[in-house]
Amino acid sequence: MSTLASTDVALAGFAAEVGTEGPVAVRGGGTRWNLGGVLTENARLVEVPSGIVDYQPAEMIVTVRAGTNTADLHASLAEHGQTCALPERGGTVGGAVAVGENRLDRLGRGSVRDAVLQVRYVSSEGDVVTGGGPVVKNVTGFNIPKLLTGSLGTLGLIAEVVLRTNPLPPVQRWLRAESVDPRDLRDVVLRPGAVLWDGTSSWILVEGHEADVDSEIERVATRADITSTDGPPELPPHRWRLSPSDASQADRFIDGSFVASIGVGTVWATTAQPVREPDPVAAQIVSRMKQLFDPSGRLNPGRSSWT
Amino acid sequence: MTTWWRRPSRPADPLIADLHDALAPDRVRNDGAERSLTSHDASVFDGGVSGPVCFPTTTGEVQAIMRIAERHDRAVVPRGAGTGLAGGAIPLGAPIVVCTGKMNNVVQIDLENRIAWVEPGVINLDLSKQLRPKGFHFAPDPSSQQVCTLGGNVANNSGGPHCLAYGVTDAHVLAIEVVLPDGQVAMLGGLEDEPDGLDLRGAFVGSEGTLGIATKIAVRLTPNPPAVRTMLLSFSSVRDAAQTVSDVIASGVVPAALEVMDQPMVTAIERYVGAGYPTDAAAVLLAEVEGLDAGVDIDVAHIDQIGRANNATEIRLAGSDEERAALWKGRKTAFGAVAQIAPDYYLHDTVVPRAKLADVLEQIYEIVDRHEVLVLNVFHAGDGNLHPLLVFDAREEGTLERVHAAGAEILRASLEAGGVLSGEHGIGVEKQQYMEELFGQADLDHQNRLRQAFDPACRANPGKVLPAGHSCADIQALRDVPTGVWG
Amino acid sequence: MDLKINADDLNSCVQCGLCLPHCPTYRVTGDEALSPRGRIRLMREVQDHGAPITNEVRDAFDTCVQCRGCEPACPSGVPYGRLIESTRESLVAVGELSARPQRLAFGVLARPRLLRFGSTLLAVVVRLRLAPKRLGLPRDLPFRRTKHSASGDDVFLFTGCVMDAWQRDVHHAGQRVIEAAGFGVTPTADIAPCCGALHTHAGLGADARGRAEATIAALSIGGDRRPIVVDSAGCGAAMKEYGHLLGTAEAAAFAERVVDIQEWLADHLDRLPEVKPLDICVAIQDPCHLRHVQRAHAATRVALAPFVHRLIELDDDGLCCGAGGAYSVFHPEISGDVRARKVDAIDQVSPDLVASANPGCSMHLAAAGVETAHPMELIDRALRGEG
Repeated sequence: MSTLASTDVALAGFAAEVGTEGPVAVRGGGTRWNLGGVLTENARLVEVPSGIVDYQPAEMIVTVRAGTNTADLHASLAEHGQTCALPERGGTVGGAVAVGENRLDRLGRGSVRDAVLQVRYVSSEGDVVTGGGPVVKNVTGFNIPKLLTGSLGTLGLIAEVVLRTNPLPPVQRWLRAESVDPRDLRDVVLRPGAVLWDGTSSWILVEGHEADVDSEIERVATRADITSTDGPPELPPHRWRLSPSDASQADRFIDGSFVASIGVGTVWATTAQPVREPDPVAAQIVSRMKQLFDPSGRLNPGRSSWT
Repeated sequence: MTTWWRRPSRPADPLIADLHDALAPDRVRNDGAERSLTSHDASVFDGGVSGPVCFPTTTGEVQAIMRIAERHDRAVVPRGAGTGLAGGAIPLGAPIVVCTGKMNNVVQIDLENRIAWVEPGVINLDLSKQLRPKGFHFAPDPSSQQVCTLGGNVANNSGGPHCLAYGVTDAHVLAIEVVLPDGQVAMLGGLEDEPDGLDLRGAFVGSEGTLGIATKIAVRLTPNPPAVRTMLLSFSSVRDAAQTVSDVIASGVVPAALEVMDQPMVTAIERYVGAGYPTDAAAVLLAEVEGLDAGVDIDVAHIDQIGRANNATEIRLAGSDEERAALWKGRKTAFGAVAQIAPDYYLHDTVVPRAKLADVLEQIYEIVDRHEVLVLNVFHAGDGNLHPLLVFDAREEGTLERVHAAGAEILRASLEAGGVLSGEHGIGVEKQQYMEELFGQADLDHQNRLRQAFDPACRANPGKVLPAGHSCADIQALRDVPTGVWG
Repeated sequence: MDLKINADDLNSCVQCGLCLPHCPTYRVTGDEALSPRGRIRLMREVQDHGAPITNEVRDAFDTCVQCRGCEPACPSGVPYGRLIESTRESLVAVGELSARPQRLAFGVLARPRLLRFGSTLLAVVVRLRLAPKRLGLPRDLPFRRTKHSASGDDVFLFTGCVMDAWQRDVHHAGQRVIEAAGFGVTPTADIAPCCGALHTHAGLGADARGRAEATIAALSIGGDRRPIVVDSAGCGAAMKEYGHLLGTAEAAAFAERVVDIQEWLADHLDRLPEVKPLDICVAIQDPCHLRHVQRAHAATRVALAPFVHRLIELDDDGLCCGAGGAYSVFHPEISGDVRARKVDAIDQVSPDLVASANPGCSMHLAAAGVETAHPMELIDRALRGEG
């Protein structure tokens, strides 16, 4: 029997608690609790197992249960000079995967969707289901991990994931830059960790080997007035999802203050993004998917994967 | 092509007549011999039976084909360059075959968003060549990149030597315009970093044509690195080479590529092109690092040190672009080298944890010895992605059976080591029967649900990926199509 | 039907598809039937499985340019040229493939005086703009030609048929270059008027073998062992393959004497005087039969480099220009599409001039407005102090 097919006692216990009937949900850290709609009142909250199951720094993968705090995960990874694409803003691993938000330094750390190599979740029927595999490269069967990441618990209750980890860059330096087009900053640095812009000032995370970082900072200094800074600016609460080109002209259509992630497209603003109509045909697939994965609609009732 | 095409009269077969009306007669082929051209891909699997072969040029024409297929209750199989190695494009059940070869425009290169919109028939290397003067490239570089199409890359979630640092195709595809099996067009994903709703784009990449046909793809452009260093490390044991790979990754260096070739492979390459690889080494490791000048030199020193600690017998660093090209030349001509040894080959593709590489390789040598099959190994070691090449002459009685038996054992050895069935070739028809050894019943059932959400009628490339009993189409029935080839 | 293809040759294809991007007709159509892998598959269907010769099958074989760009790309070493030549010859023999217009047209090739007379007439027709444009005939066909004269007996210079009638100046340039290296040249002129390359391509096997035998006989009188220098890539390729075509030791020995003029010059460069190079940037268009069949294209660069300001490579992997001997005449549309790709590749590097060592290629490109010259013409100009 392969490791993938073996049942883990903790997961079996979680599946038993989820059971086969009745509306049910898992609460993580609650940092994005109302995303996708408000949970119906009759839903039963179930505790999801926590803890790092297996961490192999040399393989750059970590198997971690959904209830684990992202802070604890990151602390363990940091002990081995590693990190991962999950945000460090608090909450649980399961919540972070179910929401699928990327880190501020997404350019450097990659996306959550690319980091989830394997997912194990409890289905609407109460089964423990496994998708993907515990290796860094895998095209064996349909891509269930991609489907579950960002699904807001509507297709299955995430119990455990295998994540790809990344080495922490030897040096990371935040700079604040004035009087420069933030897109030039992005172009002048080969692989920045992040480039941010609030309509006036820019911030850039330069990272890598020290010698490279020094030379890149010198190059940035020829384009902009730069000062060292501790980190990124304070982020407004509302998250806008835009294309990189739209984000780099966010000042034209976002009222109030904002911080745009240049080269990524995400913008944090004081106002909320207007509701956008999803592609109607994609929406049909999504509703069929929900119907097929959760015919009784018991998983995370009240929520939709459309935010 | 009016000079060589003679206008046929309106066909009697209503399916063909509809297709003629929707496309143009010269872009619908129903000649028996021409249909035989799409009955295979580059794998050892053959024997599919293709229905009419269509060459659409627009999304609208693909929609029309899908609707005609629905009306006539026929399956549809998309086909790019036909270089797949798992039989994913082999037509089962006399389906309509949709060739994307004439949809080969790079629609837009958008440097501001660092993406390009391409049609599915664009050849992988052609795109990177077009991007080169602008300072960018498309990162996934499968060994067939000079031939294979981006539509095929999306269908198979293709990898390549340089996917170690950059990730495989799904990390480089932002949005896909898809014609669904019911003829509707959906836009999956978007240029936003986190498009709203389920990640249908992520589900589509690697689905081997079973969810619909991609007609336009937004691919990510990767900046060309200013500095590249290529090294060749030789070892007196495969284990030392594998350990070096593990240690390099563990040390926090993520090279652009880490490729290992074993002694039989190196010997074959040397006999073929004389790349200057040491034939007395048990394994050679090709390591490449990319980035900025100072950093790559640090990485090179680091890999050098790890290599020495693992008893590397020789370490070379390419001093120029020409020397770099020379080091890669051997790796890139591996297939040609293999063809000099025996007329046929069966290229396997499994992934194991990097720490198990040496163990699994030793098992592979033992397995092929037992089955009296010759194996050469060339693989993406950094990803743990093994590519045992079994070479043989299919005309020798009983050889093919031994090759398949050895292949099955190699798969099982990889699974036992905690690996998976495929790293970049996909499942196709090749590995369906092994899916149950990796996944449980509920797992496969959920994969089928994913498929059905896109294709409730099971019209898109039926009989692939999922094993019989989990797939929405009865695979056995697909194989027993009575249509005569010359019908 | 039996295409008379050697079974081992036919089975050597493992269908990997690596040939596809190197095939000009696949490149412009995206159609497997018009690719080497597709055509080989069709050969198998016809020869091994009794598939009938339908229009589609016939077109697939007929539209092959025979550039053989697939051969160096093939990891399994499939001898594609042999496969397609056997196929076409077999089809022509049973009347499945028509070669009547070719046979009619090629009849004149071995009759130099008639050919020259016809060419002069054609020059008049072209000047009066009476020739159909799709034929892509060169507008500067010569009315008269300077006579050949031998300068010694160190080497033969093979002058051929159409090239001798239409581009004799290239022969004269080549002869002067060889002479400048200190060798005496015997132009073959009317003693060996046609090598049979065009016949081979058209599937006119018997005619081709006849031309080959006549050429061998004419240039081997009294056990003559002189090198035969050829300045047309197509002729050189065909003559180097006489051994396979005729299957005799004599033909193989003859083939050994054949050398492309660029190859010859690359080996004798040290005997040429140092001169001021021409102040032009030259893009090299490798004729397929020089690059893929003779695989002598490196020599063009070695030979030409000292005589021009700069050589520029085209970024198209040496893909065919679509000329293909008489191909451009019989398949003008697909040939034009193939040429358009080549012209794009040329435009990208914007050279002053394109050097092509094959008369068919240079005429085909010239018809699309590309300024072309034979490498020998450029070297000759440089040697004459035009640099």
